[in-house]
Amino acid sequence: MIQAVRPRRRTELGLIVLVALIVVSAYILASLGRTSEMPANAGPFLGIILGLLLLAHVALRIWAPTADSILLPMAGLLNGLGYVFIARLDHRLAALQATWTILGVGAFVLTLAVVRRARDLERYRYTLAFLGVAFLLLPLVPHIGRNINGARLWVRVGSITFQPGELAKLALAVFFASYLVDKRELQARPTWRVGPLFLPDPKHLGPIVLAWGASLVVLFSENDLGTSFLFFALFIAMLWVATGRGAYLGVGFTLFVAGAGLAYKTFAHARSRIQVWINPWAHAQTAGYQVIQGLYAMGSGGLAGSGLGLGSPTRIPEVATDFIFAAIGEELGLLGTAAIVLAFVIIVGTGLRIALRAEREFDKLLATGLTFTIGLQAFIIMAGVTRLTPLTGITLPFISYGGSSLVANYVLLALLLRISTGS
Amino acid sequence: MNRQIRFVGLGMLVLFLALFLQLNYLQVVDANKLAHDPRNTRIATRDFSRPRGDILSADGKVLAHSVPSNDIDKLLRTYPAGALFAQIVGYYSFTYGSDGVERQYDGQLSGRSAPIGVNNIGGLFTAQDRSETVTLTIDSRVQFAAATALGNRRGAVVAIVPSTGAILAMWSYPSYDNTPLASHNPKVAAQAWNSYQADALTPMLARAFRERFFPGSTFKLVTASAVYDHDPALATKVYPTLGALPLPNTNHLTLSNFGGETCGGTLPTLLRVSCNSGFAQIGLDLGASNLAAEANAFGFDQRPPLDLPNPAVSNFPPASSFAQDLPGVAKSAIGQQDVSATPLEMALVAAGLANGGVIMRPHVLENIKDSEGQIVQSYQPQPWLTATSAATALTMRGLMIQVVQAGTGTAAQLPGVQVAGKTGTAQTGNNTVHTWFVAFAPADAPQVAVAVLVENQPASNDFTGGQIAAPIAKKVIQAALAAG
Repeated sequence: MIQAVRPRRRTELGLIVLVALIVVSAYILASLGRTSEMPANAGPFLGIILGLLLLAHVALRIWAPTADSILLPMAGLLNGLGYVFIARLDHRLAALQATWTILGVGAFVLTLAVVRRARDLERYRYTLAFLGVAFLLLPLVPHIGRNINGARLWVRVGSITFQPGELAKLALAVFFASYLVDKRELQARPTWRVGPLFLPDPKHLGPIVLAWGASLVVLFSENDLGTSFLFFALFIAMLWVATGRGAYLGVGFTLFVAGAGLAYKTFAHARSRIQVWINPWAHAQTAGYQVIQGLYAMGSGGLAGSGLGLGSPTRIPEVATDFIFAAIGEELGLLGTAAIVLAFVIIVGTGLRIALRAEREFDKLLATGLTFTIGLQAFIIMAGVTRLTPLTGITLPFISYGGSSLVANYVLLALLLRISTGS
Repeated sequence: MNRQIRFVGLGMLVLFLALFLQLNYLQVVDANKLAHDPRNTRIATRDFSRPRGDILSADGKVLAHSVPSNDIDKLLRTYPAGALFAQIVGYYSFTYGSDGVERQYDGQLSGRSAPIGVNNIGGLFTAQDRSETVTLTIDSRVQFAAATALGNRRGAVVAIVPSTGAILAMWSYPSYDNTPLASHNPKVAAQAWNSYQADALTPMLARAFRERFFPGSTFKLVTASAVYDHDPALATKVYPTLGALPLPNTNHLTLSNFGGETCGGTLPTLLRVSCNSGFAQIGLDLGASNLAAEANAFGFDQRPPLDLPNPAVSNFPPASSFAQDLPGVAKSAIGQQDVSATPLEMALVAAGLANGGVIMRPHVLENIKDSEGQIVQSYQPQPWLTATSAATALTMRGLMIQVVQAGTGTAAQLPGVQVAGKTGTAQTGNNTVHTWFVAFAPADAPQVAVAVLVENQPASNDFTGGQIAAPIAKKVIQAALAAG
């Protein structure tokens, strides 16, 4: 194993330097595009990026020397490009995002240092489950919960606002993994016959119905379609991966359709999203405005984009968070958006490879769950922005502005890397 | 478990592949449509901050010019000639899009359609000013004469060079000031736009080429040409002197002459005095299909190839629509019922007769120059339609000279210049008339053809085409001959 250490970390180091150069070049180009001037702080900027990535790199050398070499540079690239766009879109948010990036890398290092073996997490299964649910429900607590854009996802303490749901998804992924590995009876053959269908024993359906119910609670009380779908899909996917029983997918799909139908019927917010998805032009000045502005941005970007700093993405509402992908589409074109999609494909591929190679079932399941989370979340928002699916507001991992999301994804990354060491 | 993990991977791959395809659709297949959607103001923003070429009149007056401004759009479009050219030049507005020459020649003015000259490698990397200057055929002196002669009466004047189709003047009253529409202050633009739109006199409607009117007796030029082209025997037929023509297949309905006069005789006489009863009978003798064919040959029912956006199509009903309607044939022969024409079309009728029967493509573009003043494109005159034979055109010219010398159009006589013309006084149905005059001059070597329309004049013997429109045509012809 010792021989494998050096090449992997050396590869990572090389990629990190490359990533830093790409990000700094993009930063300089964005400044040139906007003001025709070299950014005054390009040197310090390069220093900070390299410094942060090297900090994470050294942490891996110390605490996880055999970890995968691709994930950290990929996250650094997405985070760096995201920062370039945020800085280009909104200077005020850029300063905050820089702070959150530092916190994120700190959380990454801390996770590696504290979680020395993935299996240690299993012991805190119920604590994490409790924390996860508590995080999810925190925005509902009066006085600290905050409504932003019609969704109650935020918690405000002092001057800091964050989305506890982002951390909840990690806690719940760990809980799901350990719970499912533990409950072998879920893998039993379905014996419960309903008409022509064989369904899993009703008592084993308990968890799935619970997850469905919980996601519906989130949906209705917090007005958050994206997160609720993400949780539900995460649980169903992990249930299926753990058991291999296709019936769970069937039940999950049915419940999803039922939930979506219920939301459509009772929930103006959800109905409006579907209508905008079907025909945004009919709501061009109202509910469809944001989607249409995003489409205009991406269409105007075309194949190669307008060039960094040369487009007009600030016309899109919420462009630094939910719609940052459209800004990338305008200024970097299809080449840029395809590169982002490819980066997520690489992250998902690497994460699943880690899951395949892991020896313990809990590690496998957790790696799959974590990878699925990041991949599906990226897909949900990119597909929503491009009108492939109805839009649900959720951050684009590592790229969008959003502190809680960034910190949570760095922790997720550290856990995946920890699993990749096989310890 | 590995089997399921691979399936998860496959599933995610399918999702991302679908996303990639959707991105290709948005950013390649549909990109052009999205980028040029009129509600997507990105291209406008970009163009607004770029140099934009001037628009000049034939005599060098600046009609549109961009001046530096201190806001984000950097350049403000101004129209020094204002209302006099607004309906030709149009506007270039952030909020309301564009119209007129600003729209028609946008590619040249903005430089987007200019060829990229690669004289040296360095040119590829520097921002060249590729905007081009558009010079029009319209002469500001003729345009001004037309506007002055028409005064504050609703109507339109079109003057055209018969041999080239170059438009010398195209004016309608009322017009509007286009400068506020180009304002970078959306409130200023909106206020101007809304007031123009609310105005019952429709100042933004370019009556000269976008509105149709009953041509009335000016249409008799087409009917008379049809006689020579389709049934020359009728040219020598003597029509009875009548006060009113009983209409066929009706219960005692008649078609009366203007002012209750009686008239009759052969075709030259009928045209000279503009005899309704005679021409109605000629129409019946010719038949609907001959009339419709001649009208089509003169450009009715076809969109004129004018180089301005949305010219209206003049209308003559298809022959089949008269199958059960003989009175309609009689009325159509004198330019009534469902016959309608733009002032531009009636000017083209005159221009065709002046040009040996060939109507040239009407155009306002003279040439396009690059930012260094070199002509990169000149308009090449092209025939549009062969309306009639050279022989018919020659005969018609003689008849039209008679109209001005001794008929209804004497008010258009010019000292030393022979004018050929035809009057028109078309009943509108609400006790007013549209008065017309179409003409060309000099008759033996025509340099200009004009059509004048004055709308909604009182229906009385003092307000005929000969009295109201002919003097305007005379002044415009004078100005055109002086300018040429």
